[in-house]
Order: sequence, then structure tokens, then C-alpha cells
Amino acid sequence: MACLTTAFALLPTPAFAHASDRGHVLLLPTGYYIAGGALAVAFSFLTLALLPPAALDRFWRRRLSLLTVSDHPRTVLSLFSLAGFVLLIATGLFGSRDPLSNPLPLVIWTLLWAGFTLLQGVLGDLWSWLNPWYGPWRVASRVFSLRTDEAEPSLLPKWLGYWPAFVLFFGFAWFELIDPAPDDPSRLAFAAGIYWLLSFAAICVFGYEDWSRRGEFLTVFFSMVARFAPLQREKGRLHLGWPGAKLLSASSLPASGTAFLLLALSSVSFDGLSKTFFWLGLFGVNPLEFPGRTALIGIGSFGLVLTFILLAAVFALAVSLGQRLAGDGQPFEKAAGLLVWSIVPIALAYHIAHYLTALLVDGQYALVALSDPFALGWNLFGTADRMVEAGVVAGAESAWWLWNLQAGVIIAGHVLAVLIAHGLAWRLHPQPSRAALSQLPLTLLMIAYTIFGLWLLATPTAG
Amino acid sequence: MADKNGFFDLSKSTLSRRTALKGIVAGAGLALAPGFVRYSQAQSSAPIKIGFQSHRTGIGAAYGRWYEKTSAAAVKAINDAGGISGRKVELVIEDDGTDPARGAEVVGKFATQHKTDIVFGTLFSHVVIGSAPAAGENKIPYFVVSEGHHVASTKLNRYVFQPGITDVKSQIQSMAPWIAANAGKKVTQIFPDFAFGYDHRDYLPPALKAQGADVIAQIAIPPTESSFTKYFPQIPAETEVIYHVMVGPAVLTFVKELGEFYGSQRPQLFGFIDSLEAVDINSPGLEFLDGSHFWEGSPRYAQPDDSAAQKAYRAAVGIDDNGAAVGDPKDVSTAAHMFGCWETLYVVKKAMEDAGYKGPEDRAKLVEATEALKEFAEGPEHPQGPKTFNGKIHQCFGIQNISKVEGGKLKVVHKTKIEDGLYEPEGDYTTQAL
Repeated sequence: MACLTTAFALLPTPAFAHASDRGHVLLLPTGYYIAGGALAVAFSFLTLALLPPAALDRFWRRRLSLLTVSDHPRTVLSLFSLAGFVLLIATGLFGSRDPLSNPLPLVIWTLLWAGFTLLQGVLGDLWSWLNPWYGPWRVASRVFSLRTDEAEPSLLPKWLGYWPAFVLFFGFAWFELIDPAPDDPSRLAFAAGIYWLLSFAAICVFGYEDWSRRGEFLTVFFSMVARFAPLQREKGRLHLGWPGAKLLSASSLPASGTAFLLLALSSVSFDGLSKTFFWLGLFGVNPLEFPGRTALIGIGSFGLVLTFILLAAVFALAVSLGQRLAGDGQPFEKAAGLLVWSIVPIALAYHIAHYLTALLVDGQYALVALSDPFALGWNLFGTADRMVEAGVVAGAESAWWLWNLQAGVIIAGHVLAVLIAHGLAWRLHPQPSRAALSQLPLTLLMIAYTIFGLWLLATPTAG
Repeated sequence: MADKNGFFDLSKSTLSRRTALKGIVAGAGLALAPGFVRYSQAQSSAPIKIGFQSHRTGIGAAYGRWYEKTSAAAVKAINDAGGISGRKVELVIEDDGTDPARGAEVVGKFATQHKTDIVFGTLFSHVVIGSAPAAGENKIPYFVVSEGHHVASTKLNRYVFQPGITDVKSQIQSMAPWIAANAGKKVTQIFPDFAFGYDHRDYLPPALKAQGADVIAQIAIPPTESSFTKYFPQIPAETEVIYHVMVGPAVLTFVKELGEFYGSQRPQLFGFIDSLEAVDINSPGLEFLDGSHFWEGSPRYAQPDDSAAQKAYRAAVGIDDNGAAVGDPKDVSTAAHMFGCWETLYVVKKAMEDAGYKGPEDRAKLVEATEALKEFAEGPEHPQGPKTFNGKIHQCFGIQNISKVEGGKLKVVHKTKIEDGLYEPEGDYTTQAL
């Protein structure tokens, strides 16, 4: 075997690195967009610094009250959601082995992770209705007289903060980005099924509210993202506000919560980075002869950790410098835990930009697969024979549209982040000049991240 | 489904890939499915299970998608015409993620878990090379559609075959007579500085020499390069032909910058369509290619003299006259390579029928029957053209197309002869034990 490997190291082998749609982007004047994006973020900071913060804050918090929505059906919906989940696990185990025909990977990765996150960011906390643990927990707590959250002090130590969710999210990101086969239907069925069971056990032990708030990473992530949404439900009433307005009134996160939000952003950023010629070149990996995920497990794991550490370090540095510039002795952790909420729009923007093409193509595969979940020739929703048009993301024209959309979203996300950071800084430093001054380093970070985000979408990548 | 000429005409049917793949379920699923027992009673009526090792995800996904469409269409055509030895054919897809380690795992799974009759399909060379030992260990025939020289090099093992697409060494060699006679005698090669480029670097010069032409310069471009202007001054002024085989996302930039470097006064250009497989030839930046020539395994664009078999094949797979998906004109196919899936499946059919193949216990017989094949006539089963097969090196040899970019299309201007691409065998698989 060793001999064979050596023999083939010397044998010329064709590769078929595809002149992918990134090739069309390489011909676009992306440099101007990057410069323009950086300027737009810088300009929004300067504009905000000149505006009276109180008036801005009042304006941004204005909202339109819409209607009352009862949360009565929550338990029932959650039970339906669980039933759907169980069916999906069954398709993963017994359906097609093709990840583009089996609904499980398409629903989990494309519809839920790539797509549903966006819905959360626009329509608010839909996840609280669909969460597949709530209903069964309600039933179980009634039947077995389990502990209810209000009754006793939590068994989940307070000092643990959000670290359980952080660790689990890291595991999730590793599975998605580094594991050799996260799309494999049965592998994913086991991973998702076991995760549901373990989470349910944790919920029974620690209580639904506590584990959902600090341990179950999807709920933690989705509820953080939902705070950005223009649609918000408060005390049963639905309101329409400005995007990100609810983030302005968020309370300061502990260090673990700050780390969680930064990890959410850094992992998506790393997914983009890991495919660039630049990153692969650092490790002597030829992107035109991409060796496959298995060969890159070590490099990928290192990169996933490294991007988090780098982002966390730069964020901490920016906050701490900002506090020093403001000079009014606010504790670092409180400032970091508050200002980190400004990362939410950036994380959402990265999410959209990063998953847009997958959503457009794999979303179509999902529609087809859902109609025939077990590959038995069914046509449940009439979409089983629908043609998947991969051409929607192909060619120069699509590349132009996609690039403009992605660049627009990235820039808008950062401008909103500056706006939200500005509002949060004003809460920390009621004196406007100090608030503005404290934002200088964080704004530089956001300008840098705008450039980084646009560069990720413009630079040559493998595949 | 066959029309009056006897060709499979699926264009009139409501073929969807799903129809052909209906039977694709996991081994576990099949075992649990209520209908499972019906085949165990009568093995002769049980479907022939072909494990399709597919690039569904990873860097090869664009190719994998078209390999899947072509294979599904071929299986449908075979089944509609009665299957293999009267048994239906079923494709069982496993995604290899374009990852050699997973490739090997998938081959093992086909052999031990799904218990497929053979393994078929994959493209990327490193996946083939990574998977071949698993095929050998499990003694399961492994039919690849990779075009790499690795099969013909006889460095793999007796269970690996490439009967549906000519290998790259032969392809390159067969370009030489036409280049020397029509494009020019002084050739400069520009290629990416890794294995793919080295095939062209190593195989072209001796082939050209034999035709009285010379490679006067070889310019290797680092694979991570995305700007090329600085390399162009290395092209000797007396160059009559630039032979280019750049691949990857920067190909469009390469062509655009080459155009800016030369303007309207340029040498002849000759390339391999691998550079622009699945990319619209009319994309911005590629204007400079007008009037240049490309190798194509099977033509992307419909040609005026297309055979009825070629027309039927295109209709069955679902590609329009521009080589894009019917109904999705921006989805350009990998036409130059994917025909190999269609033809390989028909070779499998022929070999199984010759061997009187009944089940996995006949795999050795299937290997020998495949090795005994000599030639494949052009026709519905081999729409790309006639081929010979060398059973000692498990490799087929076919005609190649040289196409000119003209009016925004690729027009075939020359078809090579099979003999142009023949070379001395480098070994003999048949001496290996089964």
C-alpha cells in the first residue's frame, strides 16, 4: 500500500478543477466594491458620531404595534415539529443514500441552517414555536411531574454560563465544516438523533428554560439572531420595528455568551476562508487538486479554532481600547458583553452571503426530495418531478447579481452593526463624545471585517 | 421507448432522473422494505445493482451532477430495452465527497453492505487512485470514467477498468498530427504547475516531435496564481501555437489577460476543453478564444452531421443544441466527459451478458469477459464514436474531436483516428491473479 502511494505520488494525474462561477467574479471590479464598502462603514460611523444619540435611539426604537398572537398552539406545533423530525431521521436511515435526494441533509443543512436562520432574522423567533423539545418536555413534565423552572433553583451551575452552548456549537460547526461526511444521510441521522436525545435528557434534568437558554446551541443561536428581526413578539403582541432595534435593549452577556456570538461569526467566516487559495496555499495544499475533506481534518480543526481566537482577541482588544479612550472606567466584561450584540447583524449578513448559492440550488433539491422522502416513487407535494435548475447560479450574469447582492448584504450588515454598537455604547457612556470615542477601535474592526468579508467572496476559491 | 430507427428516444417520454433512480435506497432501507423478499426467491429476476460512486458534494460536484444525469438516463434506456440479461438495473448512489479516503470507504460499503454487483462512475483521479485498492481487496469490479492515465498505466489492479473514455495520454498524443499539420510547428505550452499540467508537459513533446513539430517553450504556472500577465513575456516570439491547459477559477482571467497581451495579432491557440468544461464559451472575458481550437471528448454543441445515435443520446440525457440542460440554458453540461458514463454502462451490460453473469460469485468471470472485449461499434450504445479496448491495460481508445470556436459555438473541424492515440502498453493486468 505504501509502495502504491509512493508510485502514484510520481504518476501524473488529471484533475478537473472546475472554472467555477467564482471565475466570473474574478473579472468584476471587486476592488472598488471593497473600497466602497469600507468607506460606507466608516462614513456611517462619522454620521452617527454627529447625530444626537438620544434622538437616534428614540427614532430607532419606534415601532408599530400589529396584533396579538397567542402562544397557545406552541406545544402542539412543537409536537408536530418533533414528528417531522422523527420522520426525517427515518428518511436519513432508510431513504436514499444520495445526499441530494435524501430530505434529511437537505432539510438540516439547507432549509434549517442556511434558510431558517434568515427567517429568524426577519420574522423573529419562529424557532420558539417549532422547537422540537418544548412540546415533548411539556408532555413529559406533566406525565412524570418533572421539575418546573420556577419551582427550584437551577441545577445548571450559574458559573457555567453559556459554555455548554459554546461547546456544543463548536461541535456542530466542526461537524458541518470539518467532518468528512456531514451530508451522509445515515451519519447525519445518527448525529441529529443522538443530539435530540441528549438535549432532551439535559432538558429533563436542568429544566427547559435553563437548558434552552444556555445549553441547547440551536435555541441559543436562533434566539440571538431573532433579536435582530424587524418583527418582534412581546407579551403576546406582535410589533414591527427597525431591524436590530431590539438589540439596543439587550442586556450584557457574560464572557461565555460573548464567546458564543463570536464563534457563530468566526465559524461561518472560516468556512469561507478555508476554501480560498490563500488559506490552502498557507499549508501547501494545491487548490486545483483539492485533496478532499478527510485530508484536511487537521488543518480545518486548527483553522476553526484559530479564526475564533483571532476574532475574539481582536474584538477584546477593540473593546478594551475603546474603554480606555472613553476613560470612564466601565468594566471590560460588561462593555464586551453589551457591544458584542452588534456582531449579530454581521453574523446574519455573512450567513446570507455565504449560503446564498447553496440555498438557491440545494433548496430546489430539498423541494424535490420532500415529495419522495424514502425514494419510493411518491409525489407527496407534487414537486417530486420538478426540475432542479442549477443554472440559477451559473454564468456571468448570475455571478454579477449574486456578487452585488452578497456585497450589498455584507456592507449593510456592517453599517447596521456600527449603528447598533453606537446605540449600545451610548448606554455604556451617556456622554455622547465619550460614546463616539469608545467606538473608534470597534469601528476599525468592523471596517476590517467588511474588507475581509468582501474579499472572501471575491478571492479565488477551490471548487 | 425505441423509435423507428431503433434508437432510444426518451425526449418524448416524461423521463425524470427520479424515475430512473426510484430504486435507489439504502441497503438498510431495502432490507426493511416490505417488498424485499420477493427477489430472494428468484435471483434471476433480482435487479443488477450497480454501486454509483458519485461526486455529489465536494470539488467535483459540478461534474458529479452531470455524471449522475447521464448515468440515470443510460440506466433508464437499458431498462426500457429489457435490462441486462433480462434483469433490471438499479443504481445505488453513494457520495464520495470528491475525497479519496471516502472513495475507498464507499467502495468497501458497496462490496460489503449494499452488496452491489460492481462499482461504477467516479471521475477525479485522486479518488480513483484512492479507491482502487479497496476494489482490489474486495474483488469487486470497479468501472471508472476518469480519463486519467492511471488505469492504463497498469499501476492499479485487475479489478479496475476504464472502458468508456480514452485516457489523457492517448488524447494528448492524438492531437499532435492535427496541430503540426494545421496550427503550426513551433509550440509553446502553458500549463498549471501540478500533475494535470505534467501530463500535457510530458506527453505532447514526443508526440509532436514524431510529426515534425517542436515544443519550443514550456511555461508552468503556479496553481494558486490568479494573474498571468507577468508570465506572457516568456512566450518566445517565434511561437506559432500556444497550447494552453489552464484549469480552475482563474481560467477566465488567464484568457482575458492573454487577449490583452496579444491584441488582434496572436499565434494560434489550442486548448483542452477541460479548462472550460461546464462554462459558457460566450462568457465575458472569453472573446479572445474566437477562432481558437479545443480538444473535446464528445462535442458540447450539436453538429450538423451528428449521427442519429448522438442525437438520441443528447435527447436522453437532456442536453440542448448548445450542450446545456434542456429547460435550463445556463446549466452548461460537462459534455466532453460525461458520455463516458453512458458508454461504460453499456460495456458493463455487454460484459455481463458475455460472462453469463448471475451474481457476485461471477465477478471474476465478469473481469475476464471485460478483458476479452476488443471493440465497440459506434451506435446507440457508443454514441461518441467507435472504440477499441485493450484488455491487458483495461483501457479503451476512441476518436477525439478538435473543435473551433466560431460564432460563439464549438464547431468540430477534425475527428482523429483511433490509431493516432495508440501507444505501447506499459504492463498487463491479466497476469495478476483474480
